[in-house]
Amino acid sequence: MATLIKDIKLQDNIPNNILFEKHIEFIKEYGQDENNYEYGMTDYLRVSGMYWGLTALELMNTLPSHTLEKVAEYIKQCQDPKTGGISACVGHDPHILHTLSAIQILCIYDNLKAIDTEGVVKYVASLQLPDGSFTGDKWGEVDTRFSFCAVATLSLLKRMDAIDVNKAVDFVASCKNFDGGFGSKPLSESHAGLIYCCVGFLSITNRLDIVDRDTLAWWLCERRLHWIDGDALRIFILACQDTETGGFADRPGDIADPYHTLFGLAAMSLLGHDFVQKVNPTYCMPQHVIDRLQLKPQILT
Amino acid sequence: MHGRIKVRTTEEQKALKHKEQQKKLTAYRMGMQQILSTRKEDNYDPVSLDICTQLLSVNPDIYTLWNYRKEAILIEIEKRSVKLLMVYIAVRKNEIDGEDNIIKFLENEFRLTEQCLLANPKSYGSWHHRYWVLMNHPKPNWENEFSLCTKYSRMDDRNFHVWDFRRLLINKIGITLSEELQFSTERLNANFSNYSSWHYRSTLRNLDRESVGTELILIQNAVFTDPADSSAWFYLRWVLSNPTVTKDRRQELLDAFGQLEELEPDCKWVIMAKCWLTGSLVLSDKDYIDRRVQFYKQLAKLDPMRKGQYEDYLKAAELNASHVEDQKS
Repeated sequence: MATLIKDIKLQDNIPNNILFEKHIEFIKEYGQDENNYEYGMTDYLRVSGMYWGLTALELMNTLPSHTLEKVAEYIKQCQDPKTGGISACVGHDPHILHTLSAIQILCIYDNLKAIDTEGVVKYVASLQLPDGSFTGDKWGEVDTRFSFCAVATLSLLKRMDAIDVNKAVDFVASCKNFDGGFGSKPLSESHAGLIYCCVGFLSITNRLDIVDRDTLAWWLCERRLHWIDGDALRIFILACQDTETGGFADRPGDIADPYHTLFGLAAMSLLGHDFVQKVNPTYCMPQHVIDRLQLKPQILT
Repeated sequence: MHGRIKVRTTEEQKALKHKEQQKKLTAYRMGMQQILSTRKEDNYDPVSLDICTQLLSVNPDIYTLWNYRKEAILIEIEKRSVKLLMVYIAVRKNEIDGEDNIIKFLENEFRLTEQCLLANPKSYGSWHHRYWVLMNHPKPNWENEFSLCTKYSRMDDRNFHVWDFRRLLINKIGITLSEELQFSTERLNANFSNYSSWHYRSTLRNLDRESVGTELILIQNAVFTDPADSSAWFYLRWVLSNPTVTKDRRQELLDAFGQLEELEPDCKWVIMAKCWLTGSLVLSDKDYIDRRVQFYKQLAKLDPMRKGQYEDYLKAAELNASHVEDQKS
């Protein structure tokens, strides 16, 4: 939020460009060692983690094609034959977050046939409640993040007909706040991450007319990047790179991780960096994949 | 990894840390192995449930473990209803202890979630589990939860999980809207710069002629107390969007902000608010002098990071100014 201003003093030795080789090495090393502590302790995030890492590699034009089979095999093992949902790792429970990540990965590899996609459609549809909202899994937590996951997954699978889209839209619209932002549930406070999910949701469902653009843009400069100082943002992101290990951190001087590495690269792509592939802001996937799938998420012009 | 600062360590420290980490990793893997291998649909292993408690109190983000607990709770609830049914059939009143057992069993869940939330007050899994347990509890103590909620909001009054939890609770306890408004006023008076409090207030308020008046007074108090804080200004923009704010009231505010500007000439929010007010006055009164062009130029100087934004607004204001000129001539 705008009130939370933590001034960061940037160091003098900020790299003046993206350290591609370092980042590629960082992502490729990540997960090579099963006994690496950070990696081993985060198995409950695994499939989403694979999406962050593999998409980052693709944005840097270095996704190794020989990993296709291995990745597909792993995801297959994570699909629950009963519900059709996909879990973070073998032995854990299916959840919509990892279901979306799995579909995103398989779309990037153009390999949807590797799993039971009809099962995925059934799973996502089963999570919609009568008010149009979505739960993350069968235990009932409702959040607009899951509304985004649901329509992102189904649109990538071209199966939006499996849910009640109008009701889903009504629910997300009911989460809009006085400041033009969106929260996790009706009446919940606006939050940048949830605004991404809700605007993304409305972009996929072609209902960006619901966004109160001037108010929201003012709050967040969401789709109008020329409104914020692009150069200052670029320098900040470059400063988040770890020059030793590679990877990006959430802020300069913190520990780098695959999640912030993907979003750091995606931001550089949106800022127009020449050597990062064009990223689609709605799906946070390479634009050429979205084009191949002939998807045209709505954008505000 | 949010906010984890990278620290430099010596080789010796590194080796020691590595050893500790390997121990933790092995313990985690063995624990998960034990839980997942004993997981069944119709029964659970109490030893595994204890391990589950330990693993979650270290890391509440392992979502599958919360699910495992919920399964165990449902098994216990089922046992209790079978027992109650037997008691009902046999009318053996001295055996009616099923309820006590389940209440005791669920105490563990309250203890664990509270422990997890103390360590990580933003854990989605812990909050949801607590609420789920309450919803499945035969005698939920909502008052107790309400005190807990107050305690957590004291720890961090920006934590949206706590505000969401409060919203769930007030419906259960039957707190009235006017009581909540009173609460909201107190919170704002205690700290005008808490954006969450302003947001919460917006959810309680249906703007009409009367409430708009009250809100504008509250906002004026806030911005005169701390003009540099953005929260109340955001709220002002929303209140001003309401058509019941009269021309006279807008003029009064404009005059007040003029005084504030004299005290705080470098505060961009004051100038921005003057733009909103002038803009709407220009729209309703063709003779009103549009000084927004000057204001936006001032803003671009005061806040160069958002220069692009002000230049866009400036263009719109200049366009409007030339329209007005055309109509006058």
